[in-house]
Amino acid sequence: MMWESWSAFWDMGGRGFFVWGSYGALLVAVVAELVSLRSTRKAALQSMQDTHDAL
Amino acid sequence: MARTEQQSNDKFAGRWFWRYASPAAFYPLAGKIENVCWVLACLLTLVGLYVGFFVAPTDATQGEVYRVIFIHVPAAWMAMVIYLAMAFWAGTGLVLGTRLSFMMSHALAPTGAIMAVVALWTGALWGRPTWGTYWVWDARITSTLILFFLYVGYMALAAAFDDKKKGDRASALIALVGAINVPIIYFSVKWWTTLHQGSSVRPGSSSMATTMLWAMLIMTFAFWAYCVAAAMHRLRTQIIERESGSAWLREAVK
Amino acid sequence: MSLRTVAGAVFRREMQLFARRKSDWANPIVFFLIVCSLFPFAVGSESEKLKLIGIGVIFVGALLSAMLSLPRLFDDDARDGSLELMLASSEPLAVLILARITALSLGLGAALTIAAPVFALFYALPFAVAGMLALSVAMAVPTLLLIGAIAAALLVSARGGAILTAVLVLPLTIPTLIFGAGAALKVFYGEPPAAELALQGAFLLLALALCPLAAAAALKISTD
Repeated sequence: MMWESWSAFWDMGGRGFFVWGSYGALLVAVVAELVSLRSTRKAALQSMQDTHDAL
Repeated sequence: MARTEQQSNDKFAGRWFWRYASPAAFYPLAGKIENVCWVLACLLTLVGLYVGFFVAPTDATQGEVYRVIFIHVPAAWMAMVIYLAMAFWAGTGLVLGTRLSFMMSHALAPTGAIMAVVALWTGALWGRPTWGTYWVWDARITSTLILFFLYVGYMALAAAFDDKKKGDRASALIALVGAINVPIIYFSVKWWTTLHQGSSVRPGSSSMATTMLWAMLIMTFAFWAYCVAAAMHRLRTQIIERESGSAWLREAVK
Repeated sequence: MSLRTVAGAVFRREMQLFARRKSDWANPIVFFLIVCSLFPFAVGSESEKLKLIGIGVIFVGALLSAMLSLPRLFDDDARDGSLELMLASSEPLAVLILARITALSLGLGAALTIAAPVFALFYALPFAVAGMLALSVAMAVPTLLLIGAIAAALLVSARGGAILTAVLVLPLTIPTLIFGAGAALKVFYGEPPAAELALQGAFLLLALALCPLAAAAALKISTD
């Protein structure tokens, strides 16, 4: 284990803001993309169902 | 006799490839690729982050903040690679008229734009402690910004037409025009920065430990897997949107 | 009819229209004037400060005003049906488009080229810099119109055309912007601007070779 404690890990040698700010932004971007992937898929399936029901 | 057999084999080999130009044939394959890539992306990210945060040592000059590199560099590469892939499928679609190629371009664009934003954001946060400023008008950073503009323009154009076929071809043309322009813009900006800034600060170039390189490499593969999975998912959604009337799709979705 | 006569006819028609509809060239110039006069209010009126931003402001202003005239290339023709005649013509579409762009470049380009050095006085720039600005603008406007013709052709029938044209075209004009303003900056700092002018000329020639073909393809896509 190269970190003395978890607080040292989160602190990142005093650069925690920059490191976790980067990783946090990536996480936000990925989660946002996954949510949008899921919701567009849902909408597409729904509209397919609707057109089929209408027939 | 042998010759005709050879010929029909060649034909068959060609057909194997062309078969997947049809949405009906590619839909299940895309699903398989997607699933494999989600798993790969998760595993590789876990391994990559473990190596990056618990094996790779502290950098001698930059301290701990260099650990941003494990996501910054892969994101920047993906932003570039995805644009090339997008332009490639756009060109394929224009030349061969295969509608799946256009859908592939559309499926790649949002992920590419997100990668460009991630690369810019992480670059800014990395730049502040390393070179003392969030933003430098350096050739690579500026080109990534312009790449983001090109992605936005492509997506906006594709959405601007009521007729999807027209939107496909129009946005494909713009993707190709952009692909021709990216190198010109890159070298112009490079020339411009050497002109204006006496001392241009540049990241990297210091020697990296092997474990650092490994972490970056593993994270790069994780990003590849993620991007492929996201693009395949979007591609399947597009197929559902566009082929909603067909019987095979109703079977496949069940 | 030979290709030359047809292209010449398109060119002459365009020039006549341009001379008849004064708003086509007067409005971009007025817009250019207003943009250039807004910046000192925001930056401050000290001539030392203004000198530093002047070249950039005038160059960007000229590009923006040229961009405003892009819809003129095809939109009116799409409305009155002459675009269909152009498309139906047996002559190569790219040459006809090139004739139109040439006409617009000459008309609008001349107007902006004359205006740019005059506006340089607002920013206390020396005459040599103003002259180089005129030359740069004269080369940049055709380049922008050539690149912009692709977007204008694509968006003939699309909604939200004006903003979208800007989003598509402006990023592609960055090389022209760098070297166009760069040439004037070189003169400002008393250095020879030959390299910038040569590169700007190279971009113009490249755009001249590729853009009419791309615009023709774009027009076929959007009017399909």
